[in-house]
Amino acid sequence: MRQEAIEQAIQDLGAIYGDEVQSAREGSQTFVRLKAIELYSTCRPPVTPMLLVFDHSQPKPFVYVRPGQLLANGRVPKTSSTVLIGGESWMQFSFNIPWTEEDNIMRFVAAARQRFAQDE
Amino acid sequence: MSEIEFRVPLGLGEILQDAVYREGSHEYVAFGLVSHASLGGRDTLLLCQVLSLPESAYRNDLKHGATWGGMAMVPVIEQAMSEKLGIVLFHAHPCHGLPSFSDDDRMSADRLLPMFQQRVPTRPHGSVVLSKTHASGVILMPGETRPKTAIAVRWYGAAISKWPASDEAINTSDEPIFNRQALLVSRPGQVILRQARVAVVGLGGGGSHIVQQLAHIGVGEIIVIDPDRVENTNRHRLVGLTSIDIWLKRRKADVMHRLVRRIGTGSKCRRIPVRVPEPLAVEALKEADVIVGCLDHLHARLDLQDVAWRFLIPYVDIGVSIRPITNASEGDPRVAIGGNVITLIPGGFCLWCCGFLSQEKLSLELNGPNRGYFQGRAGEAQVVSLNGIVASQAVNEVLQLLTGFGGTGIRRRDVAADSNGSNQRGFKKLNGITGTLQEWGASRRSGCASCTTALGRGMLTWAAAI
Repeated sequence: MRQEAIEQAIQDLGAIYGDEVQSAREGSQTFVRLKAIELYSTCRPPVTPMLLVFDHSQPKPFVYVRPGQLLANGRVPKTSSTVLIGGESWMQFSFNIPWTEEDNIMRFVAAARQRFAQDE
Repeated sequence: MSEIEFRVPLGLGEILQDAVYREGSHEYVAFGLVSHASLGGRDTLLLCQVLSLPESAYRNDLKHGATWGGMAMVPVIEQAMSEKLGIVLFHAHPCHGLPSFSDDDRMSADRLLPMFQQRVPTRPHGSVVLSKTHASGVILMPGETRPKTAIAVRWYGAAISKWPASDEAINTSDEPIFNRQALLVSRPGQVILRQARVAVVGLGGGGSHIVQQLAHIGVGEIIVIDPDRVENTNRHRLVGLTSIDIWLKRRKADVMHRLVRRIGTGSKCRRIPVRVPEPLAVEALKEADVIVGCLDHLHARLDLQDVAWRFLIPYVDIGVSIRPITNASEGDPRVAIGGNVITLIPGGFCLWCCGFLSQEKLSLELNGPNRGYFQGRAGEAQVVSLNGIVASQAVNEVLQLLTGFGGTGIRRRDVAADSNGSNQRGFKKLNGITGTLQEWGASRRSGCASCTTALGRGMLTWAAAI
């Protein structure tokens, strides 16, 4: 992603989530943490922090949620695993989110949330 | 606990000491850029860089040990702001014992620290005076107005050299069970072992040997990390395993806990039955003085390396690989037996620098786009005696790191594997056919992303995005 697109994404997230958005940088990566994202009401827990990792060499961000997040049906998401990002544990999950840097970042976040409404 | 600990990576300690112990017409100062973390409930400062002032920046002033122009600090402050790191001003009183932090030092700190704090409010800042054996000074933690003054220092070199926060005499051990071991590690070394905390990750054929030996040598606390339960197929190689454990499908961590208790040398064993990098395991690792990894997978090693580098914790990695030689001539070896014992000292070479990790190798290990598709290495050859060779050497490395029986220097040359000092020892390769462990050595690679972005950086520093 281009630097301008990353900055625009952070700005757009800030406009929606306000103080709930924090960012950090390390090397070529920009990290954006959304403190609380509401998922489907029967997800356990129904609210999770979400981490977006932007990298110039990647066409779209990587997305992570708090380890242990369950789907709306109470199951563990298929092909999910815990990874270390910036010294902290996060859960990565498999989900193809169609998105380009011309799209609004909120569309990406909405699709990531939608992943937890699925059955497996 | 109000004590602060400084951790100084291999190489940086040398730069810092050369800068502040320099002799001249005045005292010399150096600026340390630091991150911080809470490790085991203790505030810990992680030294990332050392910057000195050019001679031209100092002013002649007989009233003070060292005086310098404020403009000389601009590059230091700019770098600290750009990397979001704290600033610690160092100088030295090269005596022995606890150095006095003078009124002059205090006044200078009172002027500088609020200014540093204003520039980078999310990090600690301080002023520290070093003697040859201790440190004293003031450290202002983020959001706090009252400075901390009890400062311990942990220098990484050929071994971990610890400077205590006070000048109380070190208690020497008088545990008769270790009399013959103390001939090697010394009585103070035995006390260090008793106070040490070593994490062992992976409690299979290698890890169980290591836990057993750590208990025998009297390590204070052994943190055992593995989520797995024992199976019948572990019986031929897992030290301490009994038939009833298999019948009850006990956790490996529980088997190790019992093994440590039965050895009875006073070591405690903390069980963490989850996989790295689950949060519970990562928090436990952060409390360790040394991490020992006995893992099959490169991704798991990547995680251990990341924790070790971020929080400046030495990491010893072991592995054995036995592969059949398909076209072997009759009478020749039918297998190739390789293995490694890699001792990673923060500031020295890392698993990326020595080529043990690479993106290609990591990609090969996955079977899909992320770790959820990961496939294990079950079914590969394992032999208890071969595991024992690398495990024993790993425990020797832990002994050296903690007690420095083979030398304690903090300089790069103290860990040099060859005469010109460019190659650091710590990468040993096993040849299981000849029964040898050979030192290969490795060097820190300039431009290594892990060493430049993760070393001593602690957790990410978050700031409001808008």
